[in-house]
Amino acid sequence: MAEFNPEKITFKVQRYNPENGGAPHLEKFTVPFNKGMTVLDGLLYIKENIDSTLSFRASCRMGICGSCGMLVNNYPHLACHTQIEEFHSDKLTVRPLPNLSIIKDLVVDLTPMFSSHKQIKPYLIRGEAGMEDPNAEFAQSPQELNTFLQFAYCIKCGICLAACPTSASDRLFLGPQAMAQCYRYCADSRDQGQKERLPLVDTDHGVWRCHLAGACSEACPKGLDPALAIQLLKRQLAAEALGLGKRRPPSPVVPPIKESKPKVPYPDFTVKKEK
Amino acid sequence: MRRTRLHLLHMFSGIAIAVLAGIHMVALHLEEVLAFFGVDASEPTSWGAMIARSSQGIWVGIYIALLAFLLYHALYGLRGIILELTPSARKERVITWLFVVVGIAVFIWGSYVPISLLSS
Repeated sequence: MAEFNPEKITFKVQRYNPENGGAPHLEKFTVPFNKGMTVLDGLLYIKENIDSTLSFRASCRMGICGSCGMLVNNYPHLACHTQIEEFHSDKLTVRPLPNLSIIKDLVVDLTPMFSSHKQIKPYLIRGEAGMEDPNAEFAQSPQELNTFLQFAYCIKCGICLAACPTSASDRLFLGPQAMAQCYRYCADSRDQGQKERLPLVDTDHGVWRCHLAGACSEACPKGLDPALAIQLLKRQLAAEALGLGKRRPPSPVVPPIKESKPKVPYPDFTVKKEK
Repeated sequence: MRRTRLHLLHMFSGIAIAVLAGIHMVALHLEEVLAFFGVDASEPTSWGAMIARSSQGIWVGIYIALLAFLLYHALYGLRGIILELTPSARKERVITWLFVVVGIAVFIWGSYVPISLLSS
């Protein structure tokens, strides 16, 4: 493939300010291209040098915070995690994430995603009173950790929600993000909250509404597979409904270590201090 | 687990439709297959053959079960599509009850004919 090295990139960015009224429209910006430049670098160049009124969210610039999710050339991406070179085109169209309402320009309102996330109780639920005053750890083997580990990497960027065709048609749909997190906590051997969480996804707009398009898994910038989590939740629900659900004892509490190992002594200085 | 049970029943009804409609298709339209198994089914679509089948409890049972599974599968699926495209909690209750009433009415109407033929 020929080397992609244009001098300039044309950004078509969707602009929309509800306070000023009018319809969302595309605005053109020309940005000088450098090797390794990301879509976020281009947007930052526009904001710093061309139009400071352009609004977008960004923070960590390394695919960790999940702030800069946007639709680049009609596909949801993290702007900081996407190099312009990937598109092999000197024209980029940047729009806000679909399935969410626009606050301004490329900034969308993620409140529905976070309220769905909160709804599924994304924390460990234990029956005992020990959770009130935790002073020890719950034992968990590496195998038990692996049953949900990938889902713990979710950065809540909203890209799965933007890619999901069901979220596009059903605004009450819980969404792949919340349901993957529901599975993440239900599969955690330290958790005892299945009875509280499973009814929350066993609704008309829960797991059974998922069409298994798999778009969420394909778009996830962290490589998670929310579609798999939803299918595993369906399996758990079906097993519970048919009375085949496995009852697993919760992870035991590891007593606090009474005596800590002696610390490794610091090595002697190689350069002796002169007296 | 109410929705899960309803959804599992939706899946099961799909399988049941395939089996029961398969029996219907073989018995009425695939005489050569029946002949292969040694069953003589001459002109199974004729009026006389239909009346003869209607006097047998097993056939009446098959048709009533097929009607019940078909109605449940179709109406539950249609309800899901409508609720997905026009989500609203109030509309959900109205549509559910409407579909329950329509389903029961059509089932009574549809099962009346084979039952009345059986008893005649």
